[in-house]
Amino acid sequence: MHSPLLMTTTLLIIFALLINPLLLTFTPSPLPNRWHSTSVKNSVKMAFFTSLIPLFLFLDKGTETIITTWSWMNLMTFDISISLKFDLYSITFIPVALYVTWSILEFASWYMHSDPYINRFFKYLLMFLIAMIVLVTANNMFQLFIGWEGVGIMSFLLIGWWYARADANTAALQAVLYNRIGDIGLILAMAWIAMNLNSWEITQVFTLASNQDLTLPLVGLILAATGKSAQFGLHPWLPSAMEGPTPVSALLHSSTMVVAGIFLLIRLNPLMEQNPLTQTLCLCLGALTTLFTALCALTQNDIKKIVAFSTSSQLGLMMVTLGLNQPQLAFLHICTHAFFKAMLFLCSGSIIHALNDEQDIRKMGGMHQLTPFTSSSLTLGSLALTGTPFLAGFFSKDAIIESLNTSYLNAWALVLTLVATSLTAIYSLRLTFFVTMGHPRFNPLSPINENNPMVINPIKRLAWGSMAAGLLITSNILPIKLPVMTMPTPIKLAAIIVTIIGLLIALELALITSKQHTALPKRSPYLFSNMLGFFPTIIHRLPTKLSMILGQNIATQTVDLAWLEKVGPKASTLLNLPLITTTSNAQKGAIKTFLMFFTLTIMLTLPSLL
Amino acid sequence: MTPVHFTFSTTFILGLMGLALHRTHLLSALLCLEGMMLSLYVALSLWTLQLDSINLSPSPMLLLAFSACEASAGLALLVATSRTHGSDQMKALNILQC
Repeated sequence: MHSPLLMTTTLLIIFALLINPLLLTFTPSPLPNRWHSTSVKNSVKMAFFTSLIPLFLFLDKGTETIITTWSWMNLMTFDISISLKFDLYSITFIPVALYVTWSILEFASWYMHSDPYINRFFKYLLMFLIAMIVLVTANNMFQLFIGWEGVGIMSFLLIGWWYARADANTAALQAVLYNRIGDIGLILAMAWIAMNLNSWEITQVFTLASNQDLTLPLVGLILAATGKSAQFGLHPWLPSAMEGPTPVSALLHSSTMVVAGIFLLIRLNPLMEQNPLTQTLCLCLGALTTLFTALCALTQNDIKKIVAFSTSSQLGLMMVTLGLNQPQLAFLHICTHAFFKAMLFLCSGSIIHALNDEQDIRKMGGMHQLTPFTSSSLTLGSLALTGTPFLAGFFSKDAIIESLNTSYLNAWALVLTLVATSLTAIYSLRLTFFVTMGHPRFNPLSPINENNPMVINPIKRLAWGSMAAGLLITSNILPIKLPVMTMPTPIKLAAIIVTIIGLLIALELALITSKQHTALPKRSPYLFSNMLGFFPTIIHRLPTKLSMILGQNIATQTVDLAWLEKVGPKASTLLNLPLITTTSNAQKGAIKTFLMFFTLTIMLTLPSLL
Repeated sequence: MTPVHFTFSTTFILGLMGLALHRTHLLSALLCLEGMMLSLYVALSLWTLQLDSINLSPSPMLLLAFSACEASAGLALLVATSRTHGSDQMKALNILQC
């Protein structure tokens, strides 16, 4: 069997399958009512099964292919063409993304079924998926940038789906602004590469960049990843993005879009290998992110926000892995994380709908008796997230922490990451405790049922994925870098020990919530965590206020008024009036002045005559 | 400068100052004008004695006659001013309007 031909054909068929439903939307006749589930979901399902063929070909023979189709533009020696690269990363990521998207679309058919614009919603989700796949398969920076901007725009449109809500509009705008700051970094990197290496093809960039000082473009790329993947400094948009519907949160802001920044750094990792400065930057930034967002997740009361901060924390962990020069482990974590995080979001969505749109965990409870399947999957997802041995998260998370422990790097980053791992266990236990255990804290009037197969089947599929994906991926993909296999036993068990300590602390704390332990609570640590470290409060208000005061004082009052009053029209008045007054005082026509001037003249000229 | 020369020059200049730097009444200006005329008469009268020339002997008489005409013209102006303005105060006089 001619495997390269088969591979390229199936890969192009995937694109055709995904674009096909979109083409139907350009016809003038209105879409059929069930277009979203018949056309979109089925095309994604078929695309997933089609994408398994290249995956198996790659696993069996190791074929990787680059498809270069259309020569887009040529500027003297600089060529840009449409070029799709299917290597380890894209061939593995596409089936994962399509599997998760398939489940989410099926869930969204149930979640959004009362929405009159559900067809448009699915169209947006499909456009997002296509943009993401364009990003992942890009072989040149231009195509990557197209995918990058595409996912950013679709994120904006989807977060602001319920646009009548002011908070949703603010959150969408926040997402766009923070992403834009990251885009500055990406454009900086692209400009540097275009100027110095004269090409945007990634393979060519790797060859040409071996002896150059790449600090500037790498810092630009790290800035881009900070914006898109919500690292510390540009992170507030991710919890605010929970204003969008749950399928949007599940697809964009847990599995797919937010990993775009990390994916960019993974793709361009050969540039980072020789630059220890950028590696340290990634390490410290990721460690700070993972700890800070895990701290913020501890006291949130909205179920979606807890999961959002959990995503942010895991993204920080991926950044730490990149700082350790282990792109493959980061990629592994991306794939396994997609499964259990999407499942956590779908379970949250199911619970929210069951409780009649209640999102506050303080008003949930006892869901284990009422929605056993959903709460079991929630527990499974939380266990996978904390790295329970042999579930999906274990293979990636434990490997990351092992390589962190055995490397000769920054001890501070190590400590932060370990503390964040234990915090992961704490907030996961808090989530599960408040949602599924105990007695219900809501009105018993909402129709709680999870009998619809459109809810059960996606969650079931993702649960199977959360259980098996880690094992499947690690046993089939050979590691490029040699992992350290021998280490002292405490180091090997560090992640598990830290997680168990966190679990025990959390259980202890959760059990005293119903008893009054101290007379008065300590407010400051709680407030720090609940208000997200006051980061949004300060950053969203202070710089804007200062800029506006600056604008008012300098632009309006100083510059404009100075031009008007001291330099321009009014200044001529100011200068002329005293002169006019003096002159007209002397020219009143009084005889006295006249005669006085007469004598003065005579007095002055008389000596010359004599 | 001889003392006589000095005397009538000083008189003339004092009269000129008085004409120009007066304060309130027009009449005092006219009086100063008369003083100036008087000093000029003295000067012309001494011309023949000082310079030993009899060429301009009748000139003081002519000056006196013309000074009388001029004084009467000044007085007529004074009367006209007091008729129109109601007083002969200097500050009521303005070149720009009558």
